[in-house]
Amino acid sequence: MKKKLIKFYPLIPVFTVYILLFFIGKNVPGMWQLVAMLLFYCALGQAFNIFLGMTGYVDFGYVAFMGVGTYGMALAITRLASIEELGIGIIVAGFALALLMSTLLSLAVGAVALRLRGAYFAIATIGVNEGLRFLIEGARIWNGSEGLIFVSDINNILGRDTADALMTFWADVMVLVIAALAAVVTLYYMRSKIGYALTALREDEDAAKVMGINVTKYKIIAFITSSCFAGLIGAASWALKTPYVFPPEVFEIQYTIEAIIIVLLGGAGTLLGPVAGGLIYGISKYYLAVYVPGFQLLIFAPIIIVIITLFPEGILGMLKNRFQNTGLAHFII
Amino acid sequence: MEVAMKRKYFKTLFIIFTLFLFIVSGYANAAARSPDKIQIGHPACLSGKYAKAGEQAVGGIKACINWVNNVYGGVKIKGGKVPLVYKFYDSESKKESVTSLIARLITVDKVNVIFSPYSSGLTLRGAPITESRRMLYMDHGGANNKIFQQGFRYIVQTIGPASRYHEGTLDMIRMIDPKAKRVALAYEDSEFGKMVMDGAEKHSKKLGFDIVFQRTYPKGVTDLTPLLSALKSSKPDIVLGGGHFEDGQLFNRQMADLDINVNALSLIAAATLPAFYEALTNMAEGVMGPSHWEYGVKYSTEEAKKAGIDWIGPSQEEFVDYFKKAVGKDIVPDYHAAEAGAQVLAYVKAVENANSLNSDKVRKALGKLKFMSFYGNWEIDETGLQIGHSMVDAQWQNSKRVIVWPIEAQTGEAYYPMPTFSDKSKGKVAVPE
Repeated sequence: MKKKLIKFYPLIPVFTVYILLFFIGKNVPGMWQLVAMLLFYCALGQAFNIFLGMTGYVDFGYVAFMGVGTYGMALAITRLASIEELGIGIIVAGFALALLMSTLLSLAVGAVALRLRGAYFAIATIGVNEGLRFLIEGARIWNGSEGLIFVSDINNILGRDTADALMTFWADVMVLVIAALAAVVTLYYMRSKIGYALTALREDEDAAKVMGINVTKYKIIAFITSSCFAGLIGAASWALKTPYVFPPEVFEIQYTIEAIIIVLLGGAGTLLGPVAGGLIYGISKYYLAVYVPGFQLLIFAPIIIVIITLFPEGILGMLKNRFQNTGLAHFII
Repeated sequence: MEVAMKRKYFKTLFIIFTLFLFIVSGYANAAARSPDKIQIGHPACLSGKYAKAGEQAVGGIKACINWVNNVYGGVKIKGGKVPLVYKFYDSESKKESVTSLIARLITVDKVNVIFSPYSSGLTLRGAPITESRRMLYMDHGGANNKIFQQGFRYIVQTIGPASRYHEGTLDMIRMIDPKAKRVALAYEDSEFGKMVMDGAEKHSKKLGFDIVFQRTYPKGVTDLTPLLSALKSSKPDIVLGGGHFEDGQLFNRQMADLDINVNALSLIAAATLPAFYEALTNMAEGVMGPSHWEYGVKYSTEEAKKAGIDWIGPSQEEFVDYFKKAVGKDIVPDYHAAEAGAQVLAYVKAVENANSLNSDKVRKALGKLKFMSFYGNWEIDETGLQIGHSMVDAQWQNSKRVIVWPIEAQTGEAYYPMPTFSDKSKGKVAVPE
């Protein structure tokens, strides 16, 4: 029994951090929006880590999946707003559409781009992101470059007070749930055949192939899972929290860069790493913006360089080494 | 060994706990505030993609706050004179930071009003937070009309809405040349460009113009020849369009290449920039562009008296001086600075009229407010949309930027019709006789 339970120990620190964040956000006045930002970065890191951390492939077009997820929720709200009976069900429909759209896109991209490796894969994924944005703008799909603004739709469907609560609180709670789900899925993958296959291909893809591992299959599994979480994050954190979609904003490559920094800072391929990375990244950004407005990036960049240089395997890599062969090793993976 | 490990474990826990205490204590300390001040909170864009506009906005706000505190003597409220205090953070032009910083400004710094960050997207991002806290939210950087169709109760706009960018140009041409009939619209395919085009289309029809050509072109376009060839065949009298600097100067250059001669050419965003003339030299003669504000406008106390409305704020020269001191550089403010500064004046006037800092009362007072400042007129409709401020139209005349519209702001007459491109290539300049 204890052996079975021990498998889930690594979730304890992850969930402890999330619960702590939730209670700080709820009980310290003015903290909720900071907590919301930290949850967004943690969720982004955890979702991205499923692919980057476990396969070693760098997907520069990752934000495209967040973008289509945002559109999924936006389309559900704007197109189904006239059906009064739907009520809060419209949010469920939005998440379903976000999931469907990000899955379809990841299938299409994965089937082609995952045949490439290294820099070729990275460049192909940048193309997906930019190409999709120009397709939406140029072909005037989903209102093209004008985008969609749907605050009034949400107000009409849910009523002003519920809509306010959704945009300022519940959307963030949904991000928290998505982050927690991403942690569970990551641990499941790590402890299953999928995780072993992904570790093998990350270390040496050709050797893994020779050993009989269907590397394409496992890469696609990781890619689709990671992309689906990105779609859900986009739907919750962008479409529900910010009820508008402008193509240049939801396909902004900077978010992919942030995801890469968070994962590398915390420790790629670890469970707790993206959480640590998200917290360090978010808290540093926030307090530097408050205390040295305008100069934070000048200070932040050297901090990241120092951390990455001191801990090339990320914060979690360092902690794992330090606590190996101790009781704490069960919690830190 | 185990004891050492436990120590390490507790040390780690201690560090984490201290970190959270640091976060919480940061809030507690900042919560102290003086009741004898009026605080303006601003999640500014000092870095990131809107850094240039953000720096100007911060300079403009500081300039007007300095004027209010040092020249005007403070805000008159409940029998006293209260100084303004400016509390700003850098949002890095990112939506995640905007919400967290607005929440901090409201709950920790206890500011009395929030000034929006730059752009329609970031303005929209902050709106649900200010609405849920019933906090006045003043918009000096989001021009999208749709912001004001969402049912927000606390947003008030100072920047002119995108739909009105070419209204002044059309009004001017209608006055100068009642016979002009054929209008061509060609804008960049962007949220902003399309909103300007929709506004221009509606106003053209209202004034009795015929839209003979209407098309958009993609962002980052490198060749406008196909579009301009089609435009040429529609034989327009007036061409309105543009989007950014690069496509604006390409537009003008390729119109010259194709020898498309029209009575008036007005390009948004590009034509008012000095770099536009530097790039095109004589080919830019007579070309116009709308702007929210340009250095040199003639708004003054006398103009306000003539129009029968109140004047508040520094003169243009005073504003420029305060702006230079605020940014610590010898640069002329652009419209981003002017509109942000004018917003300070609108807030001051509304607080005085309401004799309260309560957001509901100040919002109500803003709804009734009508005044002129160095930035021009200020008036909003019931949704908070700016309807008082007119865009100014600048025209290149003999390599100088002359403000030709509106009449109360103009520094010279408009040159109409614009010289032909072949005349311009022979050295003709657009100087009215």
